[in-house]
Amino acid sequence: MSTPSAGPIHRLGRDQLASWLDALLAERKQVFAPVLRRGLRVLRAVGRAQEADLAPGRTRWSPKEFLFPRTETLFSYENRDGVPVLTDPPADEAPRILFGVQPCDAAGLVRLDTILLQDPFYARRRELTTVVAIACSEAAPECFCTAVGGSPAGEEGVDVLLAPLEAGWVVRALSPKGEALLAPRRGEWEPAAAGAWETALEQAGRVAGSIGRRELPTAWAAKLEQSFDDPRWDELARRCVGCSICAYVCPSCSCFDVADEGSDACGSRCRTWDSCSFRLFTQHGSGHNPRSAQPARSRQRVLHKFAFYPLQHGGQAMCVGCGRCIRSCPVGMDIHAEVVEMMSGRPEKEARDVQG
Amino acid sequence: MTEPTLQAVTDTAAPAWKPQIAAIVCNWCTYAGADMAGTTRREYPASVRLLRVPCSGRVNPLFILKSFEQGADGVLVSGCHPGDCHYVQGNYFARRRFAAFRSLLNFLGLDPRRVHFSWISASEGIKWARVVGDVTRAVTEAGPLTDWGRAASPAQVTLPEPSAPRPQPATAELEAVTGHLRELAASLLREGKVAVVLGWTPGPIPGQTIPAFIQRPEDTATLVFGTHNHADLAAYLAGPRRVQGKVAVLVKACDARAATTLLAEGQLVREDVILVGVSCPGMWRDDRLAYRCHSCDGEVGALCDFTVSATGVQPGAVPTGAKRATGPDPRDLQIAHLESLLPAQRWAFWQEQFADCVRCYACRAVCPMCYCGSCISEQHRPQWIPTSIDGRGNTAWNLVRAYHLSGRCVGCDECERVCPANIRLDLINRRLALELEQRFDYHAGTDPEGAPPLATFRPDDPQEFIV
Repeated sequence: MSTPSAGPIHRLGRDQLASWLDALLAERKQVFAPVLRRGLRVLRAVGRAQEADLAPGRTRWSPKEFLFPRTETLFSYENRDGVPVLTDPPADEAPRILFGVQPCDAAGLVRLDTILLQDPFYARRRELTTVVAIACSEAAPECFCTAVGGSPAGEEGVDVLLAPLEAGWVVRALSPKGEALLAPRRGEWEPAAAGAWETALEQAGRVAGSIGRRELPTAWAAKLEQSFDDPRWDELARRCVGCSICAYVCPSCSCFDVADEGSDACGSRCRTWDSCSFRLFTQHGSGHNPRSAQPARSRQRVLHKFAFYPLQHGGQAMCVGCGRCIRSCPVGMDIHAEVVEMMSGRPEKEARDVQG
Repeated sequence: MTEPTLQAVTDTAAPAWKPQIAAIVCNWCTYAGADMAGTTRREYPASVRLLRVPCSGRVNPLFILKSFEQGADGVLVSGCHPGDCHYVQGNYFARRRFAAFRSLLNFLGLDPRRVHFSWISASEGIKWARVVGDVTRAVTEAGPLTDWGRAASPAQVTLPEPSAPRPQPATAELEAVTGHLRELAASLLREGKVAVVLGWTPGPIPGQTIPAFIQRPEDTATLVFGTHNHADLAAYLAGPRRVQGKVAVLVKACDARAATTLLAEGQLVREDVILVGVSCPGMWRDDRLAYRCHSCDGEVGALCDFTVSATGVQPGAVPTGAKRATGPDPRDLQIAHLESLLPAQRWAFWQEQFADCVRCYACRAVCPMCYCGSCISEQHRPQWIPTSIDGRGNTAWNLVRAYHLSGRCVGCDECERVCPANIRLDLINRRLALELEQRFDYHAGTDPEGAPPLATFRPDDPQEFIV
């Protein structure tokens, strides 16, 4: 909960927020906001402010798919009378806004940047994207942003931060991109009363206090790396069934597979999400698989996020504590509890109890 | 992601539009019949592309799927008349598979005018010409297939929900069951009868239970049984997830059916597994009884080595007497509702569901029947299922998953519970199970010795859908 970093703070009523959203849409910006459909709360392009559901709580998927799509065509090919013709996919140059994501999700995009910013497709979309986050007003049992350096009002990766206050919002820009988004409205919006931002932050502080999971210090990375051969990994990950929900709901998992789809007549080269939990992920052409059993794959996910990545990227974990993987896992794998157990030597269940 | 390889002409406005039809025909009868039509100068529409296979028994329903995926507007599958098969029984097996696959396509809302089956012998050139004419007419009426892998318009379907809420079972009874389970598990471990007890223990989310692998008698105190013990632990009995060594596994009625099917399919080493049947009060999803539990009485499966109920532990499979009230299966009401819709609306409904699939394969991972060491989705030469997470790839995956479970799915609905995209896989599985019940009187998970319905046949199997 750092001090505000840029620009004046405004106080917005609910209607004002809605008309802001409508104004952004009128400017032909693509706005992706949480919507409820088929019982799923997901980020989707909205056509009117009314469609957006800005109630507290996270979306089923992280916003990463708007920068790193589930599947994207890198190029298509066609055999024209024996001459191969390659075509670039159509570029989407519309500015886009991720509206109403959680601070942890915004931080997740910053983690993704370290891996994917070197990719021109990702980089272009990132450039076109502005992130409007909403400070959390409640925490779920699986939330642990505070354990990995985040906060319910975290500013990392956030261009504009909204915080709920009484029957409305306080809003402030945290980056030049955010400032550009707010600047045209400054004339019509009232400045917030003195202390309004602090009041909103206090609320976020209370949310942070309600997160019972203990901190996972960055200093653990080196020791965690040493646990590679620890037999307890087999015990911990025994129940893992090897789906990829954890990786696909994760705001920071960045692995992909590239495959050519089509025939010798035409087709395309596609980049598609992939996951270290799959057997095929490490299967060699020779038939050998260095991660031949599920616990080894499960261990990879934990160690990559909390040991290998932090050791290579200045200490920060490749995890923002959104808790989606814990919530969606069919067998209740708990990445936070796994790290705690490995470091403390306590059984996982007990480790969880100790955390509250 | 791929462009249609058989480039379908999709412009309806163009007067020149003619349907593209893939005709998958057996070498010995129908191909020869088509040949006969040619040598006798029978005219028929030039709308079919022949794919010759040795026998209709060689026709993997994936061929039909692939044809549509690559741009066909219709598919005709044709082989020898029953009794005429060059390989004696290939077409009998094929007939059962076609029945299952056709019912799947119907339920998913593919226009029935697009898929046709026939028996045409080598001498029936006239019939070949007639069938191709009829099929061409039907597919022409249906028009170009433009919505494979996508919904043409919003489905706007609301499925009926069961009206009367069910009362939650008494906590005291569940606690008693938990106590008896712990005692039994501890004694099995103490006496060295098993190395591992597979049960349920509280998970990280309040109220959740997760699979537990208990190896020490003192750890059995972590076992719990309540109304949220969803995980079908039979998933750990076969294939790559199989727990090695002697294992005792706690099973509800649905899980016991899964174990029974595994045994029927030769996947279960019976002497290595002790099945502990738990008298089940029904499982709750949020605040409602799980759909599958409405019509289930919760009694333990016949295969069980122990029966655990609130009154204690008994050896063998014993009726617990605590029969749960049963009523109509809400899934059946929802299926009936979907079937009352026009195919196009049903297609849109399922395509909207499949559009949200992220191909995490959790449905496969938790399924006790999905025990293959290498799944068809992992086959890349040829690539049967596009890896792309989009309408085309997702439709292929969901179709194939469902088809591979036909006659095997026991309705534990775990795939539907774990699906992060809320896809109603339970309805698809159930619809196929009902089809096989009605057609072949086969009830998956009831007979450890019965042959799976698609691995057997009767010469007089119904074939009303084959011309």
